[in-house]
Amino acid sequence: MITDRVSYERLLGISGCLGLALLAHVTTLPLWLLFIVVACGSIRLLLARSGRSAPPRGILIAVAALAMPLLFLRFHTFNGLVAGTALLSVTAGLKLLETKTQRDIYIITLIIYFVSLAALLEGDSFWLLAYLIGVCWLTTATLLRATSNGPAPGWRRSLRYGGRVLAQALPLALVFWLLFPRLASPLWQIPNDSKTAASGLSDTMSPGDITQLALSDEVAFRVRFESAAPPAAERYWRGPVLDSFDGHTWTRATSGIGGTPPPLQPQGPAYHYTVMMEPHQHRWIFMLDWPSAWDRPHAELSNDYTLMQYEPLSRPIDVAGTSYTHVQYSEPLKPRTRARDLQQPRGRNARTQQLAREMRDAHPDDMDLVSAVLDMFHQQPFYYTLTPPKLADNSVDEFLFDTKRGFCGHYASAFAALMRAAGIPARVVTGYHGGTLNPYGDYWILRQSEAHAWTEVWIEGRGWMRIDPTAAIAPERVERGLADAVSADDPLASRWQRNTSWFVGARLRLDLLREVWRERILDFNQDSQRKLLEFLKVPEPDGQKLVMVLAAAMALVLAWLTWQIHRELAPPSKDVAARTYARLCAKLAAAGIARLPHEGAEAYALRVAQLRPDLADTVTALCRHYSSLRYATPSARITLGQFQAGVRAFRPKAL
Amino acid sequence: MRRHGRDSLPISIHRRRIYLMPTRFGVMLGAILAAMLMAGLNYNSNLALGFAFLMSSVAFVIMHHCNRNLQRLSVDVTTEVDAFAGREAIFEFALRNGSNVDRCDIEARCLTGSGMGSVPARESGTIEVIAPVVRRGVTRVRQFELRTRYPFGWFFSWTYVQGLITIYVAPAPAGTKTLPSAGAKGTGTHSETRGEEDFSGLRAYEPGVPLKHMAWKVLARGGEAAVRSYSSLAAQPEWLEWSSLDGMALEARLSQLCLWVLESDAAQRPYGLRIPGREIAPSGGAAHRFACLRALASFGSDHTAEPER
Repeated sequence: MITDRVSYERLLGISGCLGLALLAHVTTLPLWLLFIVVACGSIRLLLARSGRSAPPRGILIAVAALAMPLLFLRFHTFNGLVAGTALLSVTAGLKLLETKTQRDIYIITLIIYFVSLAALLEGDSFWLLAYLIGVCWLTTATLLRATSNGPAPGWRRSLRYGGRVLAQALPLALVFWLLFPRLASPLWQIPNDSKTAASGLSDTMSPGDITQLALSDEVAFRVRFESAAPPAAERYWRGPVLDSFDGHTWTRATSGIGGTPPPLQPQGPAYHYTVMMEPHQHRWIFMLDWPSAWDRPHAELSNDYTLMQYEPLSRPIDVAGTSYTHVQYSEPLKPRTRARDLQQPRGRNARTQQLAREMRDAHPDDMDLVSAVLDMFHQQPFYYTLTPPKLADNSVDEFLFDTKRGFCGHYASAFAALMRAAGIPARVVTGYHGGTLNPYGDYWILRQSEAHAWTEVWIEGRGWMRIDPTAAIAPERVERGLADAVSADDPLASRWQRNTSWFVGARLRLDLLREVWRERILDFNQDSQRKLLEFLKVPEPDGQKLVMVLAAAMALVLAWLTWQIHRELAPPSKDVAARTYARLCAKLAAAGIARLPHEGAEAYALRVAQLRPDLADTVTALCRHYSSLRYATPSARITLGQFQAGVRAFRPKAL
Repeated sequence: MRRHGRDSLPISIHRRRIYLMPTRFGVMLGAILAAMLMAGLNYNSNLALGFAFLMSSVAFVIMHHCNRNLQRLSVDVTTEVDAFAGREAIFEFALRNGSNVDRCDIEARCLTGSGMGSVPARESGTIEVIAPVVRRGVTRVRQFELRTRYPFGWFFSWTYVQGLITIYVAPAPAGTKTLPSAGAKGTGTHSETRGEEDFSGLRAYEPGVPLKHMAWKVLARGGEAAVRSYSSLAAQPEWLEWSSLDGMALEARLSQLCLWVLESDAAQRPYGLRIPGREIAPSGGAAHRFACLRALASFGSDHTAEPER
């Protein structure tokens, strides 16, 4: 049976399944590799079609010798998710090429199962899961066809069988998934070979960078406030702080975590919230300005109050935090920090330096100077636009004196440069601003289009103070959001979408589904299991209790499963009378007189009466009742209920 | 292995007597499932973990299905089998499936042979097991086995049935001596030529009948397979004698007698068999032939053949 030559039909089925499973990897695997696998499958299928067997071993070795070095050149390792999947795919292709016996088909099905799992380690959407379960369903049906002796069962039958097996397996899988203890930390270090590029803000900012983000509807993170959300003008989500300027680009001078942040005196109310971050492959976590507490173990506040974790964010996480929107610094600025935050590139932006000196002379007070610069933005013909002209090396000069058209990055950059030139420590802060409330789920959505840049200036006696120059030129942006702020001729892609109410509603509902999927399924963890146990009224839930509940639930499901599977062997009769009669026969059998297969009710009663005179009356009556219920007209005097009660009360003693 | 004593056939297979083991492929699958679980746990991916749990549960369900494939299957087997030494014994397993599920790819094993078959829901079927037998004599098979790898071949489950199959292995028909009567011709007048007038009726078909004796017309009309039988009224009963073969080795003698029995039977002549300790009165027909063959098979063993029916 194992050595059966495989037919074209079976090969076609299994190749199709392998192809579908690899389709889930089409974005991560190199195309030439998929080509090799497809070529292997096609060659083998063509050979099988013309009735020929697998190609000689030499060709296999040649393909392997070609593919393996290519793989190694591409990945430099076979360890890691993508490289491992690539290796597995090539193996599957080669296996397909050399498929001779049923055993080879078995091995390919195993590879299909594992490749499907690997896809789930990379992606996390509901549709991917549904697709892969579908693929495994198909694979299972194919396996049934491939392993049965004689003529293969039809596709319909095989699929129905596979579907039934999946349905029967589902409850058990669910119990395991809910209650199987999760690891707090991985067993071994996961090689981080994620090919997903970093997204969202970066730790450098040139004027115009954020403009690209403004067109993206991708969700950066979601936020749920425990009570009321702060007003729009205070919803600044703090990202990387940029304090080094070369005349064109702002960068982060301090990389890495280090230095305790200077103490702050909170003023005003505290806001408690949970940030649900999407993975962006950077280390920072966006918190409401200014964060004071968070529950992420491997994260710390940098000395400029950005929450940074040790590892790049490669999976979605939830961080609960507390922030104050109004704070005051209680310590003076350290001299080194002051020197850094006043530093300017030499020989660049000369006109800006000149302007700063003039304004400084007119406004000796720091706050007056800030107001004067903001007034300048407001009164002079500055425009807020998504399509600003490109700027060269002296970007601030060109922007302030020539083009006067820019996005938030231009204004933040120019404002900070002006402040530094005037002797006020200043820095650019990037992050997000605003957010869209999803009324269906009561949470806020922050999209890439809400990325923003603003500035902070050091005012003696108050500390770092947030100044958003964009508010001076386009106050609507800060009050209402981007779509209302940009000029009408800007190509904001989804303008009509934002203004069509049913579309907005549908989009928000869809986002709610995505959010529920993320929160309930993807982020299911030890904490969720503890809550589940609490919900089940388990006192003082811990890992041990979890295992006990798992064992109990498993016993229940297994009992159900066994019953479910074996029920089909003898389906319970829908006829109540017949079922009750069967119970009567079982009782008599237990008492030592089993009904013979050919015996009718009356004959049986007669035999029982002869063997056990003590039971004669009852059994004769009950059997006659049964006969009349089954075979007589419905006007029979005895009712079904009476018959049932009679059988229930009947307790023959064994002799 | 549990000893049940003798089972009364037909037997409905109870789940307690079904054993189950993973196949080599099942062990491989287990390893893959374990790897899938580890990957899901280590990457802390709930989707991967869910998928791994689903596949493990599928394997678990399949295990039950494999076990169920034999459960409550009613099995019967022919208790007496006739064969010739050096050829094959054919065991017929009758399976009845009273349940609503199809029983697929059931393998029956007896002696060294095995046969495969399926029984759809609420139907019956037979599986033929063909096993070679080498030595003449009476062999008793006290146990036979039913096994299945359905579905998927991840697991195989099997059960032993303690039955009693008696195999009468007649000696291989061989010899150079002609029938005693063939030498002394003249008594049988009609034995060589068979005209229409010899036709005496139909009897049930049995394997081994010359094709020219088949009642093809009856079969063509849709009737049972039947064989035309010819009366050989004029033929004298013939004694096949052990003593007439003096000087030959024991097994050679038995082989010669066996050949004579078959030749006489094919020639439609009444014959009797006389061997030490056993005498079978002259007669004809299948039952008689079997009685003679069984007598030859059991010669020398302490077993006395069951009385002829």
